Amino acid sequence: MPAPAMHGEGRNGVPLRTRRILMHAGIFLTLVLAWEIGARAGYLDPLFYPRPTAIVDSFIRIYITQGNIWRHLYVSLGLVFAGFAAGSILGIVLGSLVGFNALARRFVKPYVLVLEATPRIAVAPLLIAALGFGAQSKIAIIMLVCFFAPFINTLAGVVNVNEEKLELFNSLGASKFQILTKLVLPEAVPVIMAGERLALTASLSGVLVAEFIQRDQGIGSLILIYTRNLNMASAFACIFTLTVVGFLIFKGMEMLDRYIAFWNNETGMARVGAARKARWEN
Amino acid sequence: MSAPFGQLQWLRACYRALPHLGLFALLIAAWEVLVRTGVIASIMVPRPSSIGASIVELYFVKGTIWRHFFITLGEAVGGFLIGAAIAVALAIGSSLWEPFRRYVSPYAVVLNVTPGIALTPIIIAWFGFGMGSKMALAAIISFFPIFVNTLTGLTQPDTEREELFRSLGSSERQVFWMLRVPSALPLMFAGFKIGLTTALIGAVVAEFAQATEGVGVLMSRFSFQLNMGASIATLLSMTLIGLILFYSMEFLDDRTVFWRREERRAAASRNRARAWKRYAKLNSKSGSSI
Repeated sequence: MPAPAMHGEGRNGVPLRTRRILMHAGIFLTLVLAWEIGARAGYLDPLFYPRPTAIVDSFIRIYITQGNIWRHLYVSLGLVFAGFAAGSILGIVLGSLVGFNALARRFVKPYVLVLEATPRIAVAPLLIAALGFGAQSKIAIIMLVCFFAPFINTLAGVVNVNEEKLELFNSLGASKFQILTKLVLPEAVPVIMAGERLALTASLSGVLVAEFIQRDQGIGSLILIYTRNLNMASAFACIFTLTVVGFLIFKGMEMLDRYIAFWNNETGMARVGAARKARWEN
Repeated sequence: MSAPFGQLQWLRACYRALPHLGLFALLIAAWEVLVRTGVIASIMVPRPSSIGASIVELYFVKGTIWRHFFITLGEAVGGFLIGAAIAVALAIGSSLWEPFRRYVSPYAVVLNVTPGIALTPIIIAWFGFGMGSKMALAAIISFFPIFVNTLTGLTQPDTEREELFRSLGSSERQVFWMLRVPSALPLMFAGFKIGLTTALIGAVVAEFAQATEGVGVLMSRFSFQLNMGASIATLLSMTLIGLILFYSMEFLDDRTVFWRREERRAAASRNRARAWKRYAKLNSKSGSSI
């Protein structure tokens, strides 16, 4: 392919990028239009497959005119972040403790294997029965769901520490704590962050399952109630809301990853370098 | 492998398992004592002996669990097969035709960032209370890991090998089947393993939401009767399903991607040598030359 065609002018002088965006928009609009026409012409049962315009109507209703989604969204996201923080901190701490100790690693391994095979979300009814209805059982479910990925990843990161660097640290007489905070954890950060990303996604699923089981408030119970009432357009509006939330969470984690593991990217290095320089000059 | 050597290995494995079993027994005993003395409320955490009694009753005496067990297993496997078939087909399409990839991938990303679990009530409204809705949910949430891994595997650049293939005059089809697919298989199987686990989650969650049979139903029923022993026994059946699914996929992985592990590769080349010998014998008998 000739080089200019890659990012220069396409046919008729329209840049390739614009043409691609137009193409994406065209495909999307065609799909939506086909759906709308199919629903209006009666090929799709409006009771089960709501029209796109009906979904837009519901968006306006639940966000602006009724505005009832805000409360549920607030409740659910609060639970997600509380459970995620507790679960992932627990996972990282236990993971680094177990990873550091070869004996503990050997004895914990079979339980980890068994737990890994169990669908963790399945414990939800049990936890609700044990802890009662309310926020604490929901948070416990989310903790359980998002404990595992950070735990495993921290463990893997700690175990796979660079041998040569470890030797250097040891020969310079570093203490165990120094090795942990200055070598092992920084080296493991990318892996741990990958685990955190999985955990945050899982915690979103966890809160939904918890709310499906005890339907008092939250976005999960809202979806369930709308579907029970066959108000599918509103249910879809809630689900698209979750798509946006999921996307924001994904992007947010990516940014956090770049901020914490600053040595893996150019802008982060520049930022920390400038800060250190400023500190030296004072 | 000779018999005495094999026996020795077996003995050694037993010896190595002893401390693990000891620790396990100790933990169980401590748990039992703590619950019996009332330090832990038995309504929250049942005694190990009552879990054991429930296991015996559910699995062996009444055997109620087996029907539900196989229903959930079937839902997870069925959903996984549907999801994997669609994912692999779309990934192959995307790897072969670049515009297709460009215009399909945004939808795949949207599907990925939406928690698939959120679709549960809608899927049940669409596909009914039976096994169909469970399979549909399992298929939806197992789709993405398989799609991404297959696509990554099929499109990873391996220019040197591809050059070799081209210089030996192989066709597009040969490059696809003999280079792309084999080098994608390890990643694909990694995706299958994740997908199978998530398919089980999908099946169980859909059963929590609305179902008449399956271990998820059993689990929520026992929990709400506060029959904690039985519900933990049911939970263990899900672990069992998870282990069965994971290890059967591991087995398939080992057999299919045989070149990654030394002993499997040796076994495969032994088989090939044997096949060649048979072939040579056949030819010498019939008197024809190759």
